[in-house]
Amino acid sequence: MSALLEVKDLRLQFGGVKAVDGLSFTVEAGEILAVIGPNGAGKTSAFNCISGFYLPTSGSVVFDGRDIVRQAPSFWRSLRLVDLLQSFGFYRVLPSRVTKWGMARTFQNLRLFRELSVLDNVKTAMHANIREGFWATLLHTPGYRKAERECAEQARGWLDFVGFTGDENLYVTQLPYGEQRRVEIARALATGPKLLLLDEPAAGLNFNEKQALMQLIRSIRDLGVAVVLIEHDMGLIMNLAERIVVLNYGKEIAVGSPEQIKNDPIVIEAYLGVEDEPLDETKLQTGTVDLSLLDDSLLDGSSQGKGKKGKRS
Amino acid sequence: MSRSQTRADAALRAPSPLFDRPAAPAGILNSNKGFLRALGTLAVVLLAVLPFINATPYLMSIATSALIYVMLAMGLNVVVGYAGLLDLGYIAFFAVGAYISGIFTTVLGWPMWAALPMTIAACIVAGIIIGAPTLRLRSDYLAIVTLGFGEIIRITANNLQITGGPSGIHGIPTWSFGDWSFSDGFTLFGLEFPQRVVFYYFVAAVVVLVGVVGAGRLAKGKMGRAWKAVRDDEDAAEAMGINTYIAKITAYIIGAVWAGIAGQLMATHLSAISPNSFQFLYSALILMSVVLGGMGSTPGVIIGALFVSLAPELLREFSEWRFLIFGVLLVVVMLFRPAGLWPSTAILPWLKKLKPVPPPTAGFMAVPAASANEDLETVEGEETR
Repeated sequence: MSALLEVKDLRLQFGGVKAVDGLSFTVEAGEILAVIGPNGAGKTSAFNCISGFYLPTSGSVVFDGRDIVRQAPSFWRSLRLVDLLQSFGFYRVLPSRVTKWGMARTFQNLRLFRELSVLDNVKTAMHANIREGFWATLLHTPGYRKAERECAEQARGWLDFVGFTGDENLYVTQLPYGEQRRVEIARALATGPKLLLLDEPAAGLNFNEKQALMQLIRSIRDLGVAVVLIEHDMGLIMNLAERIVVLNYGKEIAVGSPEQIKNDPIVIEAYLGVEDEPLDETKLQTGTVDLSLLDDSLLDGSSQGKGKKGKRS
Repeated sequence: MSRSQTRADAALRAPSPLFDRPAAPAGILNSNKGFLRALGTLAVVLLAVLPFINATPYLMSIATSALIYVMLAMGLNVVVGYAGLLDLGYIAFFAVGAYISGIFTTVLGWPMWAALPMTIAACIVAGIIIGAPTLRLRSDYLAIVTLGFGEIIRITANNLQITGGPSGIHGIPTWSFGDWSFSDGFTLFGLEFPQRVVFYYFVAAVVVLVGVVGAGRLAKGKMGRAWKAVRDDEDAAEAMGINTYIAKITAYIIGAVWAGIAGQLMATHLSAISPNSFQFLYSALILMSVVLGGMGSTPGVIIGALFVSLAPELLREFSEWRFLIFGVLLVVVMLFRPAGLWPSTAILPWLKKLKPVPPPTAGFMAVPAASANEDLETVEGEETR
């Protein structure tokens, strides 16, 4: 039994910047995997490669036995027409196709459809799963009505599943932030995924909302959906993830269970800098180095987000 | 690669809803849908009785033109209002429809009804030819390219032999079925309609009605949601499994077909067409009626189209001043209703106070998701492939 998602030696270069530099990991069906790393480590870039938004420079991504990265034949590459062809959808897998294969994603900054109602947002995600012909839509045939009814029913099911409590007919912009997050997760689930990529789902949520999110992610896993999440909130990750992949400068620096990661010297170094590096006296006096970051309280979840301010310079 | 059946291989089905929703309010005054239906019925009745009240050729001619504008605006509304593609050369499809029907009826001598499928086919082809290379572009760039294509079509028509060059095509026949033609006259309920204009008005009314209802229905279905998703956020739409390219080109083709049918109506209505009827100004006027009425809103776009087509006529007594007054009116409207006269997100003023009944979810958040999970079901064993 092969893994649900296999990323092998993934590389993505923007000019001279190596956003992702040889990343490899696998996701098994029905597990919760967290991807962490300091800001700019290439987490979101890797997500974009996996879900088909970016075309990686090299490497392979195999999802559910299907290749997501395709290489154009050398003939086209020699003519330098690959970019043009790929912009028309040749020699690449479009994100919509990846979604149809069963990989759904959310975005770092909420990207709901602003002028659609909550219900329509979720219905939109069922695009690939419902059949409505052109004439059926024009003539409102019984088949069309049935498809629409079922679509609404399923959308409501997902809204209830994520615990959305508001009015489904409101526009999403009228909802508070936490509820918008829920709708976004419901929308991703409505595509019927096997693998759900969550890009910083807890960003901007308060403590209670984070607790509810943790429960929600667990119940998504219980449906049989594998969840891969990028997060900065260590408390949430240590509680939730079964395995953690740590990235830094586009490279994978550690993989393991939360306990292993917590005590991994390389990870601590990536977040905090080298521990035995002599501290600059002037920096200490001006307070640019927060000494409290250096003790082991960072990764136990109580000091969320402080890792971002770690001494990296 | 062999895949044994695992949970991941079963299609993920939505859990059934945990709560019953209250039925959506129905009725003319307490629901948006009911009100719009009533308004639509009223409009249809008005449309039907107008020739019985006043059937001067002048009025009929203006009314037919206004209906053609409504058809055009509904088509452009699909492209601009629903799919969010700014098209500044929309009149090109109008020209394609008019010229194709003109050529088929005058040069080849086909009856008008037989030219209709040809018009539709030509517009689909034109939509694909213009849309396929340009729809990879976004917003401003698309606007510039479509503007160019609009001019190309007009200049081509100006220079080809078959389109009659600058003088255009004359003597386009009206609709006829076998021996009977609309120009023969017709008596209905003891009322005689001598001018073909009157009959023509009825044909235009029926076609436009189908166009308006059809565009509205398409916008509510799966494809319409895809269009709106593409308009609101193209990347997110792609992530939802919508092939945005196909969604955009579908919107483009639908818009082209609507414009082509309007073009055929126009060709029969005026019985003569020339490249001058397809200047950029008309693209701008139709776009204006969509923006003025409210993008993506059927009643708004109809009001906008009627305003744009009728205002110059109603202001005729101000002679040269009328276009100035028209412009000032537009500025005033846009100042006070920036989202359009009747925006798609509008809530009827008397419905704003009504609080919608929320689903009975009080205390739901207190329920741990694990226990709520018992109500959920995944359908196993349904192979996706």
